[in-house]
Amino acid sequence: MARRLTADVVVIGGGSTGAGVVRDAAMRGFSAVLVDRSDLGQGTTGRFHGLLHSGGRYVVSDPGSASECASENAILSRIQAPAIERTGGLFVAVPGDDPDYGDRFLAGARATGVPAREISVREALRREPRLNPGIVRAIEVEDASVDGWQLVWGAVNSAKAYGAQVLTYHPVTNIEVADGAVRVVRCHDQRRDEDVLIECRFVLNCAGPWAGQITELTGLPPVPVVPGRGIMIAMNHRLVNTVVNRLIYPADGDILVPVHTVSVIGTTDVKESDPDHLPIPAAEVQQMLDAGEELIPGFRQARAVHAWAGSRPLIKDDRVASDDTRHMSRGMAVVDHLARDGVQGLLTIGGGKLTTYRLMAEHIVDAMCDQLGESRACRTASEEIPYDGDAKHYTITHRLADREADRLDDQIICECELMSRSMFTDLLDAQPLSTLDDLRRQLRLGMGPCQGGFCASRAAGVAVTEQAVDAERASGLLRLFLRNRWIGLWPILHGDQVRQTAIDHWIYSGTFDIEHLPEPAEEVVR
Amino acid sequence: MSRDIVIGAGLAGLCAALRLAQAGRPVTLVAKGAGGLGLSQGTIDILGYAPDRVFAPLDAVRAVASDHPYSGIGPDAVAASAAWLRDELGPELLVGDPGVNLHLPTALGSIRPTCLAQPSMVEGAVVGGRRYVVVGVRQLKDFSPELVAGNLARTPAPDGGAIEAHPAWIDLPARPGEADASGLTYARALDDVAFADAFAAAVAAVAGECDVVLLPAVLGLRRLGVWRQVSARVGRPVAEVPLQPPSVPGIRLYEALLGRLRAAGVRHVQGSLVTGFQAKDGRLRSVTVAAAGGPRELAAAHVVYAPGGFESGALAVDSYGTIAERLFGLPLTASSSPDLVGPDFWAPHRLFQVGVRTDAAGRPVDGEAAVYANLYAAGGLIAGAERWREKSGDGIAVATAVRAADAIIGGAA
Repeated sequence: MARRLTADVVVIGGGSTGAGVVRDAAMRGFSAVLVDRSDLGQGTTGRFHGLLHSGGRYVVSDPGSASECASENAILSRIQAPAIERTGGLFVAVPGDDPDYGDRFLAGARATGVPAREISVREALRREPRLNPGIVRAIEVEDASVDGWQLVWGAVNSAKAYGAQVLTYHPVTNIEVADGAVRVVRCHDQRRDEDVLIECRFVLNCAGPWAGQITELTGLPPVPVVPGRGIMIAMNHRLVNTVVNRLIYPADGDILVPVHTVSVIGTTDVKESDPDHLPIPAAEVQQMLDAGEELIPGFRQARAVHAWAGSRPLIKDDRVASDDTRHMSRGMAVVDHLARDGVQGLLTIGGGKLTTYRLMAEHIVDAMCDQLGESRACRTASEEIPYDGDAKHYTITHRLADREADRLDDQIICECELMSRSMFTDLLDAQPLSTLDDLRRQLRLGMGPCQGGFCASRAAGVAVTEQAVDAERASGLLRLFLRNRWIGLWPILHGDQVRQTAIDHWIYSGTFDIEHLPEPAEEVVR
Repeated sequence: MSRDIVIGAGLAGLCAALRLAQAGRPVTLVAKGAGGLGLSQGTIDILGYAPDRVFAPLDAVRAVASDHPYSGIGPDAVAASAAWLRDELGPELLVGDPGVNLHLPTALGSIRPTCLAQPSMVEGAVVGGRRYVVVGVRQLKDFSPELVAGNLARTPAPDGGAIEAHPAWIDLPARPGEADASGLTYARALDDVAFADAFAAAVAAVAGECDVVLLPAVLGLRRLGVWRQVSARVGRPVAEVPLQPPSVPGIRLYEALLGRLRAAGVRHVQGSLVTGFQAKDGRLRSVTVAAAGGPRELAAAHVVYAPGGFESGALAVDSYGTIAERLFGLPLTASSSPDLVGPDFWAPHRLFQVGVRTDAAGRPVDGEAAVYANLYAAGGLIAGAERWREKSGDGIAVATAVRAADAIIGGAA
């Protein structure tokens, strides 16, 4: 017997787009349910470089996107300040880069409304002393660093406050169409092993690179989503404190973003067929290290802590060669399945970027209102999203100040990221079914240099002590966490991270003998 | 005057220096840091898995593959070296039989084979039918008694019997008003007899019905009898369970060995990296040590090189994947890393078996010939074992250190 729910709209996908859409729909008075096959922000949203675009990147290549980024950057900085660090950004030309591109850049910035100002090389080097001293031009922009998970959780919590429901680990199993209209979304609650049936008037497919798989469930021809894979490498510490971009036509490895305690170099762009299997090829790792070296001499001697691959949800555009994903539309595209397939109540959104997630949501909810013949205004740009505590912009020193304040009364479970025991237990209390990775995405547990070596076993222990899980599940969660960390470690295993990995193995295998805990009947995967 | 130079203050370096000094040789021990013992579990493993659980480690040593560090040493020499270390440290610090593994609980609640252990640990040996109470300390975050007890209770003992285990807590800050204290802070606090009494009383109050009380391994750093004091008060055997670093039992071994070295007249240069060397006619003449004020040359009769492996940086992988030995540029069993690590976290990682090969005397070789006639390797630098997986690091360190020292003492070079 399935659990039954009723809603105006079912939003499929818990990345930034889905989160923005469910908030927007709920704020317009629709009863909304968001479903995701795993946790929020586990797909593309959690696998980017952390850049909140100023628009500078697109002033020459894609003026429309540039303008959208500029205005959304300003809006998000206002409505989601705690998720954003106002780092500022630089576009720098290194020797060999086309020196005239800077002029086209500045002209493009003026035309698109992207704030940009050329500064002297000397001033750029004063701000960022590690920069290649040979740079020939520097332009400052309003790039910022954004925590995609904080962005998503903020939007989702706002949606919940407006009455929306959010169902994670609920993969969609079927979308039922009757009389030319979507009627029912069926999911499976994996944690309770229970089917869930949601009667609805509308489905908004925000599954990003997986959007094609969702439309196939309706029996319609799949929307032509082309996963464009990009790899990123997090370097230990902040090699720079502002976003640094190459002052060139957008290419691979031309962005370095300071994010929390690390700096992230990205990215590549390779067409893939399966967004669930995104490799981190050694050649691309080398390409990123070379690119980093051009921006920051000595980059290769810095410590790489982790790598990941994400998949852009690009919608195929017939005007671009099918293997050239970088130049497929980065603009958002709403596919109206009534016009395309004759099915009412289904829209798919693709393209876009995290910076414009709110605007994408506005567009698709507008399109839904049009189809429903209802006029309901979007209010997401003006209403601040509430976060715990003050609504100041994030700064790197926040947690240090917090820990200095509570150092005698609380324990630090993750020293690298200064995550306290109460931060962990409070979230575990609110989300008791979480995996350690689910908690990591919100707390940064295990994301620092030691990659969980010292904190993951503590976190598992605290979870048992707090009676959130039993020892068997805690051990399974710990195994899962270590396996998942390894995915991003082994491709970049060089330099100091080899030493760290050896020490982590001495702890988990050497001292703890983790591999001889009783074999789980089935590995914990969620 | 030339002295024997030992590089590295881990278990291998300390053992080599001690053994050489006891034979009357002038020895200088140079180390960048405090060695690896403080990161270890503080017992002496010989061989724990091969790949199944090992009960008689010397039998397993006899059966290792030909490229394993134990292969050229053999079970008798492994046993003799471990027994030598045990007797050097004495029964207040190390007990056991090199022929028999103990199976001790870990801080995750798994049951880990090891060989020689500190007397404060041995009562923890997991035996079917026993009832354990696992006591945590609220201010010590590295030990969850619920996790340990829960896992022990669902694990069959190595003898096949079932184990009963229950968690309990005490609430006793090592320093007043401090909620977050490391194991080392507790160990220092427990060196104080009065605090240890209060600690023992708190444990006694929660121990309940059980055969053995398991405690985090923080029972004193300098005062080795704290566990007896606690046991007497609780009225039952207690046993320490090693924690993640900093390892109090490991630091006990380090400090005890340093004490023995000083008594034997070893010069100890700590905090100094060896940055270079001079060689002539196939022999090392001196090593260069980074010291305050500038580099210093130390003339070398022999060098025992015991710098550890990848964890210490003695073996390193650069950003292009090239594997190299840092100081002497010694030939390694592999020179490129990308094919040696893979996506399966649980699978063996061949990268961590890379190291130097040695001749029968323990000298690193290039092909069949010793690289330098008076350079010996000991410990984690030697190829052929993923030590944390096998639980073999300590035994390899001690056996290869003794091999190198005895070769020097015996004039094999």
